[in-house]
Amino acid sequence: MDATFTKTRHPAVVAEALTKVYGEGDARVHALREVDVSFGTGAFTAIMGPSGSGKSTLMHCLAGLDTATSGTVRVGEVELTGLSDKRLTLLRRERIGFVFQAFNLLPTLSAEENILLPLRIADRRPDQVLYDRVIDTVGLRDRLGHRPAELSGGQQQRVAVARALISKPQVIFADEPTGNLDSRSGAEVLSFLRTSVRELGQTIVMVTHDPMAASYADRVVFLRDGRLVDELPAPTPQTVLDTLMKLEA
Amino acid sequence: MLRTALAGLRAHRLRLLLTSLAIMLGVAFIAGTFVLNDTIQAGFAERVTADAEKVAVAVLPEGPGERIGPEVLERVRAVPGVREAVGLVRGSAPLLGQDGKAVGGMPTTAVSIVPGALDRTTIVSGTGPGSDDHAAVLDENTAEAAGFQVGDTIRVLDSRGREHVFRLVGLLDPGLDQELAYTGAVGFTTATAQRMTGAEDFAEIDVAGDDPAALKPAVAAAAGAGHEVLTGEELAADLARQAGLEMRTLTVGLLMFGLVAMLVAALVIYNTFGILVAQRTREMALLRCIGATRGQVFGSVLIESAVVAVVASVTGLAAGYGLGALTLAVLGALDAPLPTEAALALSPETIAVGLGVGLAVTVGAAVLPARTATRVAPVAALRTQVEERTFRAGVPRVVFAALFLLAGLGAGGAGALVLPPGEQSSLFVVMAGGVLTFLGVLILGPVLVRPLSAVLGWVPAKLFGVPGRLAVDNSGRNPKRAATTTVALTIGVTLMTLISVVTASTRATVTDKLDEQFPVDYALMTQGREGGIPRSVGEELKDRPEFAAVLRVRDTAATVRGVRVRVGTYEGPISPKLVSGALPELAAGQVAVAAHAARDLRVGVGDTVRVGPGSGAVPLEVVAVVDDEAPLPTLALAPGQFAELFGDVQDSRVLIDIADDVAPERARAVVEAATAAHPTVQVQSSTEVREEFDQTLDMLLMIVTGLLGLSILISLLGIANTLSLSVHERARESALLRALGLTRAQLRRMLSVEALVFGLIGAVVGVALGLVFGWAAMRAMLEGAVFTASPWQIGLFVLLSGVAGMVAAVLPGRRAARASIVGSLAG
Repeated sequence: MDATFTKTRHPAVVAEALTKVYGEGDARVHALREVDVSFGTGAFTAIMGPSGSGKSTLMHCLAGLDTATSGTVRVGEVELTGLSDKRLTLLRRERIGFVFQAFNLLPTLSAEENILLPLRIADRRPDQVLYDRVIDTVGLRDRLGHRPAELSGGQQQRVAVARALISKPQVIFADEPTGNLDSRSGAEVLSFLRTSVRELGQTIVMVTHDPMAASYADRVVFLRDGRLVDELPAPTPQTVLDTLMKLEA
Repeated sequence: MLRTALAGLRAHRLRLLLTSLAIMLGVAFIAGTFVLNDTIQAGFAERVTADAEKVAVAVLPEGPGERIGPEVLERVRAVPGVREAVGLVRGSAPLLGQDGKAVGGMPTTAVSIVPGALDRTTIVSGTGPGSDDHAAVLDENTAEAAGFQVGDTIRVLDSRGREHVFRLVGLLDPGLDQELAYTGAVGFTTATAQRMTGAEDFAEIDVAGDDPAALKPAVAAAAGAGHEVLTGEELAADLARQAGLEMRTLTVGLLMFGLVAMLVAALVIYNTFGILVAQRTREMALLRCIGATRGQVFGSVLIESAVVAVVASVTGLAAGYGLGALTLAVLGALDAPLPTEAALALSPETIAVGLGVGLAVTVGAAVLPARTATRVAPVAALRTQVEERTFRAGVPRVVFAALFLLAGLGAGGAGALVLPPGEQSSLFVVMAGGVLTFLGVLILGPVLVRPLSAVLGWVPAKLFGVPGRLAVDNSGRNPKRAATTTVALTIGVTLMTLISVVTASTRATVTDKLDEQFPVDYALMTQGREGGIPRSVGEELKDRPEFAAVLRVRDTAATVRGVRVRVGTYEGPISPKLVSGALPELAAGQVAVAAHAARDLRVGVGDTVRVGPGSGAVPLEVVAVVDDEAPLPTLALAPGQFAELFGDVQDSRVLIDIADDVAPERARAVVEAATAAHPTVQVQSSTEVREEFDQTLDMLLMIVTGLLGLSILISLLGIANTLSLSVHERARESALLRALGLTRAQLRRMLSVEALVFGLIGAVVGVALGLVFGWAAMRAMLEGAVFTASPWQIGLFVLLSGVAGMVAAVLPGRRAARASIVGSLAG
């Protein structure tokens, strides 16, 4: 597996020989085995694989939420290996955005407050132009004062996407962002992600098991049993499905 | 179902630990109080048993203050079977200190020390006086305080104020005798004691003989009516009971604090089980899905609480036993006048009360949460996420709260403003009002929490940035839970504020009233208010240029309209505060009456009362009703008329106000010189009196605050508990924040601020209630009470509550910060 998956010359995230082992002795489980992968700046990449293939673990290690057993991860020029929890936290704050499958928003805050939360945590002022653009792109201007409980699932996820975009992170990690949504809301969220890559030059890495969702990406990488086994440039739902079938077989 | 309940307990071991601790502390305090009381009572009983064996029968006067004539002793001695009978002498005989002034605030009590088998005195060093009429013994404390050692020469005044010299041959231990312990004791031979006290009669007659049961009726017959005859055993039981009375009062007082602590613990338990049930909605629903009835679900929660109760109560009993032992050790080390050597007593009653209270409070507090658990619909098991229940202030809640608040504040206001001050009933009404208001606040709590957290959280939210903002939001997020958590703290803070206000106001009221009526720099009084100050002392002082004013007051006991009162007169410039009437200068035929006496005698201005000794009473017109705090006799007559009616009476007090330009040292020297020849006349400077008074109040405040500390501690456990349960509940939320870049320190700070807000809400509500009812209580207790509160003391309560809340957040905060982001996000 050579490091030839890069689409551009300046990768936003690079992992080398990434290994993650859970448990001890007989209960040892290799979630990741020597994974080499890189994600280009300004690209939308999907990570796919069957359940237990290690795709979530990979994302957690890349995002500095979890530490690898061995191997290295670089976000931009920063080497994650060996960073203290505090440095990792600051790195996430400055350079990484997140969209999760569920429980993406703080229930006590309004939509607007949720969107601005990462900036407030970092004590940074929002870029007004970017803010307006993001709000208009996700189409939430009339819902800004509402609390999450008063928003639909799709609207909540759009707030989450806006929140990830607002701090102009080096990379956004999205973990099954459409997992809890109906197909129409899911498609909406995916096209926002797509648009943000195209118009804002945002880098996005998305974990999904849905071939339809993966088809929105520029490239799909496939994992099985903790190894990177395949990749697909310019995917369509059909080609993704075919590759998955081949992997399952 | 039992098995599920137990499994549930095992799973939530840690979460229930804090709850158990709350109950444990309460039970430990109550059990410790009982252990202490039982042990000390047993100690009293032990001490008197030895004495009881010496005395076969004892003869006592029937009423307090009465005596037994010497002829009774003769009759008792003649009773067949009486081996020996002695009379015990007891009376005042002031011991003079090294400076020639009488020692202590009260004259020492002279006792006779009998030789032979009936001697019950414990001589701890040296010997008894034996038959040496020039020998004396002192009790240890008096000897130490006055600086006398065995072998020294001591001087004692007899009943007519003449000095006698004795050789100090030994020291005695007054044992259980409360009077001797209080006044100090000086022991002589019987003959000397009679000579010194000027009394031929006895306080008690002790009889030695072989068969107490047979002797008792014979001795009783010989003594005649008007005497109480007891066997040695009965006497011992009596002495132990009397000695234990104070301890029993103290026990009751301590138990009140124990009850407050248990009330707070009940709130903590109620809250904990409420949260646990809410968090386990799905678990309960699953049980219902697979066929558990509502009753079984209800039972499982109650069983859980019962197990917690038993574990906590048993630990609490053990801790209480240790607490009792510790207190006794401390008391022993401090030489407290209590028997601390008896074996620690853990009676079956103590065990029963400890377990009973622990079980009743815990299970009782879990009943409501258990009922909530039964309302969980089976279908809730199928929902993925437990919805946070939003709180609405229902109309019934507001109506009930309003009713309670109206009734409570109404009663408080009535007690303070309408009912007569100084009456117990007024104070009782105020207290009832306080309880009602508190219940109103308890009901209204959930409605109050959000606005209060917004107001009190304003500064922390500004100071601590995003964590601060989020924390303040979180604190108002579950109003019911927050209200119960903070109300537990409110109880302690309310009582502390109340005590603080009452002590500060009492201080202000007393000094204010004194200053207003007669600014006293020095007061002359006799030791123990017995006897009088020779009139010559006041006469001499009143014309001295060093003094601006001298007020001389003398009075004597008399019966007016069947009521025993002090009747007297005064000379000197004073304009006392009047309730009604006018008091320019009393003329013959006029009387001024203190307010309390006017009530007792049912007289007012314009009425006539007959005052005088026996048949010589004359009618007097009431011209003024005087404030109770005025330093005048209860019934004040014109000096001339008083002398006509009651003869020549010595001054009972002389109050002195020194002139502005005179140095206190010089004034003091003049006063000392005038009183030097009169050993029992004591000079009190008002600054000293005030200092003493202040110290007493400070001590009271400290003790009460310390005892309330337990309730505060339990309520802090409640805050810690609520927070740790919230941490568990919000694990995913915290993980999200951490993913978005909140550092561990910020997450910990977030919880600290939430706890700070809880602490502040509890404290501020407590301070408000304490101030209002402290004011009402003062109004109800004292007429013309001055209301003062110490801002720094109350500020300290609020500050400490906030800090304590933050301390309570330390452990939950650590747990929250340690949680793995990935693990929590997945859950």
